[in-house]
Amino acid sequence: MVDKKINLKLALLGDPAVGKTSLINRYTEEGFKDNYQPTLGVNIVMKKLKIEEFEVQLAIWDIAGQDKYDLTRKMFFEGCTGSLLVYDITRSSTFDRIQSKWLEDFKNFARSDGIYILIGNKSDLRNKDAVSIERGQKLAEQIQASDFIETSAKLGDNVEATFRKLVVHALDSFDIQLKLK
Amino acid sequence: MIGDYKGEVKYNVITALLQAYHDILDYDGMKSILKEAEMLHLKNIRDEDQNQYLDLFSFKKIITAQNCLLYDSSMLLFEIGKKFSFYLFPYGKNFEEIVSEINSIIITDWKVEIVEKQQNLIVILVQKCIFCSEIGVPCDLFKGFLVHSLEKSLPSEYRVVHFGEKEDVEDQNHNTFILKLKMEKKY
Repeated sequence: MVDKKINLKLALLGDPAVGKTSLINRYTEEGFKDNYQPTLGVNIVMKKLKIEEFEVQLAIWDIAGQDKYDLTRKMFFEGCTGSLLVYDITRSSTFDRIQSKWLEDFKNFARSDGIYILIGNKSDLRNKDAVSIERGQKLAEQIQASDFIETSAKLGDNVEATFRKLVVHALDSFDIQLKLK
Repeated sequence: MIGDYKGEVKYNVITALLQAYHDILDYDGMKSILKEAEMLHLKNIRDEDQNQYLDLFSFKKIITAQNCLLYDSSMLLFEIGKKFSFYLFPYGKNFEEIVSEINSIIITDWKVEIVEKQQNLIVILVQKCIFCSEIGVPCDLFKGFLVHSLEKSLPSEYRVVHFGEKEDVEDQNHNTFILKLKMEKKY
């Protein structure tokens, strides 16, 4: 029986075209679109999830990566408990900006106890990769990310598990101990 | 419509609110709220005759979706409220006129009134605020609306600071509240 309701605000951060919207679409609608349409501002999606006795209401914020949103983006982070820091494994510039831009923004403007997972997206393009798994793992350790996962929004690899882990880590940061971890 | 959803809202209110979402959250943010409210067909409402009225139930669906998606986003809601005032009353109205008119274009069981006016202080009583009737939702949007509505009628060297009793969002009557607006010089 579900007896506890929890609201969580989560954000996906990363450079334009790393696949943030595609990850959310894959998670919430189980679909994938080949054509790229940049997010204008912020796209917010709700999703309910049941974890043990908790009914978790997720508000997932897909935040535009373009620099023109730098000013308003800061307000989007308010109350944010968890984030996926997403880079594209085929473009090393997107990897480089995880620490210098996205993590810094998250730390400056989200909740002080907010947690984050490092995501290397587009693992289906492994043959064109510019960022190896080892580099991803090393950065995750360096920035003290809760986890490092490679995903493919196109194929759906690891997508469901990624969001579930993010929720579990976020609940953990509220001192909610889960039996299944 | 019956019970809590009896009433109607003038189209220009919806247009101003959507424009405020658009300014702060951009197009996809505005669309997210309308989609969650199942009101996506209203996205081009500004092209319609603004003297029409929308039923209160539909308006409440938008507000509920907004409060659901913007959970824990006080700053954003406050900024949206300021923009809402900017677009709803762009020019030519003083604060008293704005307070009077907002009651007449959102027609339902609610009331906004000035209960005290001093040289540098205005006290507002908001009864059954339509923007924060859900439990757990603070009324940052309407506070932003009132702050900006007063601020824009003052000389530019003044700003408005709001304060009042601490809101208990778990109280089902929290949507009736007193807001104090203090006018002070910026420099």
